[in-house]
Amino acid sequence: MANFAGCTVEKAVGAVTVAGAELEVVDLPGTHSLLPATEDEKVSFRFLCECAEAGEDLLVLCVAEASNLSNDLALAAGLKAAGFRVALVVNMIDEARLNGIRVDKEALSDELGMPVVLASARTAEGLDAVCALLTSRPPRADPSEVFDFRRASRRELRDLQEDAVRAADRACAVAVSLPHRVVLPTISRSMRIDRVLLHPVAGPLILAAAMFLLFQALFAWAHPIMDLLSEGLAALGEALRARLPAGAWSSLLCDGALPGVSAVAVFVPQIAILFTLIGALEQSGYLPRAGAMVDRALRPFGLDGKVFIPFLSGFACAIPGIMSARTIASERRRLVAILLTPLMTCSARLPVYTLIITAFVPASLRPWGLDGRGVVMTGMYVFGVLMALLLALALKWTRLYEAHPSLVTILPPYRVPRPRELLRYVRARVWHFLSRAGQIIFMVSILLWALASFPRAQRTQEGLAPEAAAAVRIQGSALGMAGRAIEPVFKPLGWDWRVSVAVLSSLVAREVFVGTLGTIYAMGHETRSTQGLVRALQEAKKEDGTPRYGVPMAAGLMIFFAIALQCVSTIAIVRRETGGWKWPAIQFATLFVLAYGLSYAAVRVLTALGA
Amino acid sequence: MTLDQVALEMPVRIVNFTSIDATEVARLSGMGLRTGTTVTKLIATPLQDPVECLVGPQLLALDRRLLRRIQVEAL
Repeated sequence: MANFAGCTVEKAVGAVTVAGAELEVVDLPGTHSLLPATEDEKVSFRFLCECAEAGEDLLVLCVAEASNLSNDLALAAGLKAAGFRVALVVNMIDEARLNGIRVDKEALSDELGMPVVLASARTAEGLDAVCALLTSRPPRADPSEVFDFRRASRRELRDLQEDAVRAADRACAVAVSLPHRVVLPTISRSMRIDRVLLHPVAGPLILAAAMFLLFQALFAWAHPIMDLLSEGLAALGEALRARLPAGAWSSLLCDGALPGVSAVAVFVPQIAILFTLIGALEQSGYLPRAGAMVDRALRPFGLDGKVFIPFLSGFACAIPGIMSARTIASERRRLVAILLTPLMTCSARLPVYTLIITAFVPASLRPWGLDGRGVVMTGMYVFGVLMALLLALALKWTRLYEAHPSLVTILPPYRVPRPRELLRYVRARVWHFLSRAGQIIFMVSILLWALASFPRAQRTQEGLAPEAAAAVRIQGSALGMAGRAIEPVFKPLGWDWRVSVAVLSSLVAREVFVGTLGTIYAMGHETRSTQGLVRALQEAKKEDGTPRYGVPMAAGLMIFFAIALQCVSTIAIVRRETGGWKWPAIQFATLFVLAYGLSYAAVRVLTALGA
Repeated sequence: MTLDQVALEMPVRIVNFTSIDATEVARLSGMGLRTGTTVTKLIATPLQDPVECLVGPQLLALDRRLLRRIQVEAL
């Protein structure tokens, strides 16, 4: 199956049973021509050639837009000429009728030499006819007769494309009657809307408002649900702990499995809300226009307008941000977006920044009359964006760089999003997250629990407050021992074993840093009220009586958190989206080295300046 | 003249492509940009690049670098 470009950015496989026969349906990335340029376009042609080579029963179902047949028919005609068995689905026929377009199915079928179905995916018109097409048993493709796109010269591909365009023009002339208007009604309406949405002043303001709404939705709408889920699962854990006999199994369930479920479940509201809004923007036709508006500004950095949504979503959480990079058709550009999105200051970094800023930036600091702590916090947001842009610049010199994907962006007519389609779109993405990345996040959460729980501390914990007992357990655990083992590595950054353990444990989620440090300092769960921990950090002394932590260490730690990929959930989603461990490993290592290097430089410079 | 020199709202016809290799021209034909097609520049995006154009029956955002390479004639 092939549809119009920009919809599918990867091959999707499904099964359908029609008239008792089980068929495999493969949805391929769309393409506008027979000359594949981007990686996603190459995927489609490679797949078709491999199927033909393997002698598989293959029917290529080309989905064309009824109101744009003069352009969309060329692909079907070209694939037919290339030796594939092709059928044509003329989609959105209802909209074409409203535009005054008449399509003669029989004439089109005769002219192209392939079965044609007039359909509307929105109204389900023609669905039975599409199913009937699928059950017709096509003959096996003869590899010797099928044009091999993988080995064809550019000249051969050009000739094929030019012939296909001519065939499409002939078919249109015979089978499609256009209204006597200059511009189709749907296009005319879109032009009027664009006069407002692309206006030099109103356009950016509306875009900013739309993005503000999206950002707000991720924070304001998702967070109450996330908190509810998190608190509900925490309460369930406490209730189970009270009923179960104390021991390893109880701890596994209450401290490992349930927090693992919680770590997965809390992302669902954000993902659902983000994709509802992205889906609505995409289906309405506004998303390509938003991308076109910011495209020029991002071009010097080797980026294009399509990274805008992943980057913006990354401010809430890198996970939905990385998933939203699926709207980028070019494989290499999508990879660049995936690699850079985690540099946006996500909400999980806020508790860490808040703790460090409150502890080490004096309230009396008021540069230019502004609140110094607020300025530092804003600076961290700017720092993340700057790092992403600088790294994007650096990536221009690697093989990941791809020249601007196209000098042309198709602007579809504005359409009202349909709730049913939107629901299906969101459900598919939530399920995708739960079934793939969710499993990894859950497994890693259990692993980290095991590292933090074993071996059991020998030192008696009787008489200790629960928080103090927890601190003793962490200190003696594998995670605590690892923290001590890596202490020399991080000593140049001014970290002691406590900070090292907290940073290690924050791999589960960055905000865990605060809780772990709080536990180590036996201050209890400090995620809501950090004042006790703030004092502990300010007053902590080394054995020689000098302060344990200072401004250089704090600045270095914030820089480290701004850059390092301290989040297994993000690593898991990158693995899922890139199809292997190679890119998450490269991303983790590169960002770690960069984070360490810049953090070290900051510590040295600030120490030299006497900060 | 080239398409970037044409005023907004003035329909013109594509006559040739310059400084674009033949493969790219063939690729553009799949998006409706072909010799003989009528094009009307409608509105420049806020940063003045790309420009929204009516190309045949559809709307396309065309990069200014491309506009400079499309030769057109008045209708």
